[in-house]
Amino acid sequence: MKNIFTKIYNWVDERVKLEDLVKFMGKKYVPVHRHSIWYYFGGVSLFFFIIQVTTGILLLFYYKGSSDLAFESVQFIMSKVQFGWLVRSIHAWAANLFILSAFIHMFSVYFEKAYRKPREITWVTGMLMFFMCLGFGFSGYLLPWNTLSFFATKVGTDIAGAVPIIGEPLRTFIRGGDDVSGATLSRLFGFHVALFPGIFTILLAIHLILIQRQGISEPMHFEEQHSSEKKTMPFFPNFLLRDLLLWLIVLNVLAILAVFFPADLGVKADPFSSAPAGIKPEWYFLFMFQSLKYFPSHILFAEGEVVGILLFGAAGLLWLLIPFWDRKSSRGEQNRFVNYLGIFAVIFIIILTILGWRS
Amino acid sequence: MDNVQNQPVQKSRRDFLKYLLNLGIVGFAASIFYPLIAYLKPPKQNEVVVTSVSAGKLSAFEKDSGKIIRFGSKPVIVIRTASGDVRAFSAICTHLGCTVQFRKDLGTIWCACHNGKYDLNGKNISGPPPRPLDVYKAIIKGDEIIISKMT
Amino acid sequence: MNKIILSVMLLISSFMLAAQDKGKKVVDQCYVCHESLGSDEATLFKKDIHFQKGISCADCHGGDRQSDDMDKAMSKEAGYKGVPKGNEITQACIRCHASSEMMKKYGSKIPTNQFELLKGSVHGKLAIDGAERIVQCITCHNAHGIVEVTNPNSPVYPTNVPKTCGKCHDNPVYMRSYNPSLPVDQLQKYRTSVHGMRNAKGDPKPAECASCHGSHDIKNVKDVRSKVYPTNIPETCSKCHSDPQYMKEYKIPTNQYALYKKSVHGVALFEKHDLSAPVCNSCHGNHGATPPGVESISEVCGTCHALNAELFSSSPHKKAFDKQKLPECETCHSNHDIEKPTSKFLGVTPDAICSKCHKPDDKSKGYMVAKEMRLMIDSLASTEKIDSALVEEAEQKGMEINEAKFKLRDATQASMEARTMVHSFDEAKFNEVVNKGLTVTSSVKADASAAIHEYYFRRIGLGISVVIISFLALMLYLFIRRIEKKNANN
Repeated sequence: MKNIFTKIYNWVDERVKLEDLVKFMGKKYVPVHRHSIWYYFGGVSLFFFIIQVTTGILLLFYYKGSSDLAFESVQFIMSKVQFGWLVRSIHAWAANLFILSAFIHMFSVYFEKAYRKPREITWVTGMLMFFMCLGFGFSGYLLPWNTLSFFATKVGTDIAGAVPIIGEPLRTFIRGGDDVSGATLSRLFGFHVALFPGIFTILLAIHLILIQRQGISEPMHFEEQHSSEKKTMPFFPNFLLRDLLLWLIVLNVLAILAVFFPADLGVKADPFSSAPAGIKPEWYFLFMFQSLKYFPSHILFAEGEVVGILLFGAAGLLWLLIPFWDRKSSRGEQNRFVNYLGIFAVIFIIILTILGWRS
Repeated sequence: MDNVQNQPVQKSRRDFLKYLLNLGIVGFAASIFYPLIAYLKPPKQNEVVVTSVSAGKLSAFEKDSGKIIRFGSKPVIVIRTASGDVRAFSAICTHLGCTVQFRKDLGTIWCACHNGKYDLNGKNISGPPPRPLDVYKAIIKGDEIIISKMT
Repeated sequence: MNKIILSVMLLISSFMLAAQDKGKKVVDQCYVCHESLGSDEATLFKKDIHFQKGISCADCHGGDRQSDDMDKAMSKEAGYKGVPKGNEITQACIRCHASSEMMKKYGSKIPTNQFELLKGSVHGKLAIDGAERIVQCITCHNAHGIVEVTNPNSPVYPTNVPKTCGKCHDNPVYMRSYNPSLPVDQLQKYRTSVHGMRNAKGDPKPAECASCHGSHDIKNVKDVRSKVYPTNIPETCSKCHSDPQYMKEYKIPTNQYALYKKSVHGVALFEKHDLSAPVCNSCHGNHGATPPGVESISEVCGTCHALNAELFSSSPHKKAFDKQKLPECETCHSNHDIEKPTSKFLGVTPDAICSKCHKPDDKSKGYMVAKEMRLMIDSLASTEKIDSALVEEAEQKGMEINEAKFKLRDATQASMEARTMVHSFDEAKFNEVVNKGLTVTSSVKADASAAIHEYYFRRIGLGISVVIISFLALMLYLFIRRIEKKNANN
């Protein structure tokens, strides 16, 4: 047994120089300090991505992306295909948890100021992946073609349409027509399974390569310490195995959630029926949806909603570009403003999500 | 723990741990691959026994036109003649099993695969089809066309 | 020349009359002259109730009633109108008949709302010439010679009403110009009905046109206010037929309305507002109202319950019932108080209807078939019940069971069909339908049980995989600890 593995390893090593890679990984260390726990959320997010790709491919074997067949095919997966319910439920649960862990990963990086020089590109690719996650969520939500998802998509695309100038063409582009229809389904299906995963994979590759290349960011207080005082852990195998351990736990949780709270199917969408009461977007859009409600109908010359959307756009841009305007952190100085801004963002998101949930 | 003293115990315990770890990996693989393989196994589609099926409203069915409807898992062609009669035939060409269609310009049922033609009574009149199309019963109930098997 | 003679004659006669009636306060010169001329109008008017109440020709025709000079009396200056035309006729009548004061003056207690009612009725619409109403008062009541309604000579006295209405309604050419699709054979049919035959014999009590349709306020049949609108018919008929006093001499029951109200048909009509539910006239006919004959019941019921009637007619029961003069559907379902049939009707238990004729006898085919049919329909019903409980359980457990639920509809349909198929009284045909249902129920049962089984399978499967994954996690944890300890020791 062992000989075969060794032989294969040697065969590959001879040609690809695996040894360098192992050495390189072995030399990498993960800083150990009281905020080390947050390092794991990147890995957990990666795990969720792997799960999403796997279950997504499995669902593709049976899913049919047309308005006539989408609902029936999902119903087929849920009732006829062995473990179809499990695959779909895991896909649905992992999607939500993916976004949750991406949120946590993003804020931990933010508060640790790990985006500071030289890791600007890592931050930007991460943020772009986060936006894509939201896009994955939005496009995937419509695919079962049930009433709730149909109207949520309608509302969601309507909000996109309120953006000045580019809104109208954007809405038509997303919908593939004037209204949410079978064309929208085909389009979002294409985004969800081909376009987004392609782009995401490229971003993820850059993100991961950069982490390997630059090593894991040390907290700012580490820099002042002497190298002998720094507590570290080898990336390979210690940190990787811990990662795997966490993944196993996450998988267990996913399985339990999928069995006890399987994904709903609802009623097939009928474009001519009236919208059911209490249409709400998925929870990760809820804080934006809810805050748009609080804008007055008119602010100066513009519609309140438009102002709100523009504000969110500006905030997103500001957030994306933080490594470029937060010069202080890059110089190794404390930037209290960034901390306060981050705390405000967290509190804002939590409170509005709760408000949106309860309304 | 003293490393030197516990060397032999350590060795065997380590092996035992590795053994358990491998066992766990095998079990884990099984618990992943069992559902995975079961998922990929094509589910059995139970054939639904259909005895009759609706072909829509008569008033919405233009004269001198035809349409294909699903009868269980088989296609059936429903034709409304110029005089208003409704007829139904199996849409499976008796030649090689293609789906036939109504050709208004030819006034026949026509198979695109090998240019087989049937008249509006389902009789094969030209081309390769060896025998007439199977006839289905078309009953008008109120404004609804009901297609059922000939008994 | 003629005119001179006429005037001379009038002059003479008026002198004579004037001499004769010197004692009276008011001399109606119109009547005096026209009567002496022997005109039909004057002759008729003599019997007219209006004449008896002292109403003059001039009250409707205008002119000076006191003047014996014809030119003067019938001059425009005197307000002479001649023969009223069109709506003027009715206007002349309602001068008094719409005024309670005027009517009181003449000591009459008849209502004063007839014109109001007429205006809102079908007859109050404009005629084809667009200038007048279709019907004026005189159309039905006559112009001269009007007598009280209670007088058998009145054209609106019950025995005369059919003929009066028939004047127009019997005339296809005339009716065509208003409503081409309205039949004109009502009178003809009426004469064949029990009501019509008694009416023809001079009995004023049986219903005539106005009894059901109303008189001044006749509405279109499709008008919900019409007394013959489907939902109003039972009450309209019951006005007489539920009045024991009124119906006493005819010796027929008076409880039909009460029974009907509780029947499936009554409930459908009054509670579910189903206008297609049969009312009195659906079975008895309207203008030709008469109870259906024993042999024709299945045809009458079959107008709606077509399949049941067809099956019955070709069943062995048809002949047997006819031979024994048993009314067809009615024997089992009764007539006015038809209740919703249940499977209890079927079979050989004491309360089952079959057992009324089919006495317990294992050699009797009818007895055995009834027993068997009941057994079959009960087993279908019970499996259906079990199935829906199973489906519900699976649904509550959150399983996707829509297909089985959909299939269950076929079982319901089969039991529905089976109920119809009972009327063939043919065991083979009946069993075929029931078996179709039983096939469905067994497949639904299998699906639902599989879904419930799946529910437990999922939990057990989860338990196993959680144990395995947790075990692996634990081993991994121990492994990590070992590596780290080794590192620390190094």
